[in-house]
Amino acid sequence: MDKKTLTGFTREKFNKHVAGRLRREGKIPAVMYGSKGGRTLSVDSHEFHKKFHTVSENTIIQLQMEGETFDVLVKDYQEDIMTGSILHIDFFEIEKGKLLKTHVPIHLIGTAIGAREGGVQEQLMHEIEVECLPKNIPASIEVDITKLEEGASIHVAGLPAIEGVKFLAAEDSVVVTITHVRGVEELEAEAAGEAEEGMEEEAPKESEGEEQAE
Amino acid sequence: MLSPKRMKYRKRQRGSFWKSKQATRGNTVSFGDYGLIAMEPKWITNRQIEAARIAMTRHIKRGGKVWIRIFPDVPYTKKPAETRMGKGKGNPEYWVAAVKPGTVMFEMAGVSAELANEAMQLASSKLPIKTKFVSRRGVE
Repeated sequence: MDKKTLTGFTREKFNKHVAGRLRREGKIPAVMYGSKGGRTLSVDSHEFHKKFHTVSENTIIQLQMEGETFDVLVKDYQEDIMTGSILHIDFFEIEKGKLLKTHVPIHLIGTAIGAREGGVQEQLMHEIEVECLPKNIPASIEVDITKLEEGASIHVAGLPAIEGVKFLAAEDSVVVTITHVRGVEELEAEAAGEAEEGMEEEAPKESEGEEQAE
Repeated sequence: MLSPKRMKYRKRQRGSFWKSKQATRGNTVSFGDYGLIAMEPKWITNRQIEAARIAMTRHIKRGGKVWIRIFPDVPYTKKPAETRMGKGKGNPEYWVAAVKPGTVMFEMAGVSAELANEAMQLASSKLPIKTKFVSRRGVE
């Protein structure tokens, strides 16, 4: 598991005006919590975006702050849905040698036989909750789907086992499935049928006692 | 075309859904890998939703799955042309979905990002608002 470093700055005022000012200055307000209690801090937005193209919950970050180094995970973050900028980050301080729960992304490898024959590959689970020691956190869980035929699925029980990592999702949960896809002709025929029904139902019928407009 | 199966009341007051600025629900890509989010508040009619859906499904042909995350459950009433004011509320004409900025309107999976973007742009041209193509968290 790779580690990345980040510099944090202690933050003493917590209201929304201060947070807004920090964001305008190019910083992201953040909190850090764990077994040793909570701290408020901010990180440099430019540095964060440079080092983390996508924010993932399973990357251990070495957070340097006031001469101390903390091993943390990104537990949660808030982003502006309109601009995509990160508004706030929650860091979770991890303890060495203690089991932790985190989410790990599931990556599919290859193209399924069923998808090549015209089916649609549907990934129902994109990440899975795991329990493991910090040193054992996998970067991702890679699933080979090349032999998956149309109508077949891979469940949590069928994921490749990783030493020291326990999957917490239900074993019968579907991770990926190959479903039958209807052709354009079928879809259009169905849409035409719906449109005819819609025309009939579209304008609800007037009740009998209602007055007629002039 | 999308419309509710049953309504308790046929006509509804117009309301002021745009007062709260952004969508606080339905604002994340939850089912597919790519989504189309609204950048403006607007009423989207069932015809517009249908036109967008057709544009997308025709472009991706086989392969890929589309989700429609908005539903037109608000009846839109209109008085007939050349009618004097008064004499009650007009007749329901069509259905609309109240969309706020940030709402994920459509989602897509099973296709490449490039194809999804093209399909979403075609869908966007059928809608009366500015939109933005987005990816699910963790998908580049």
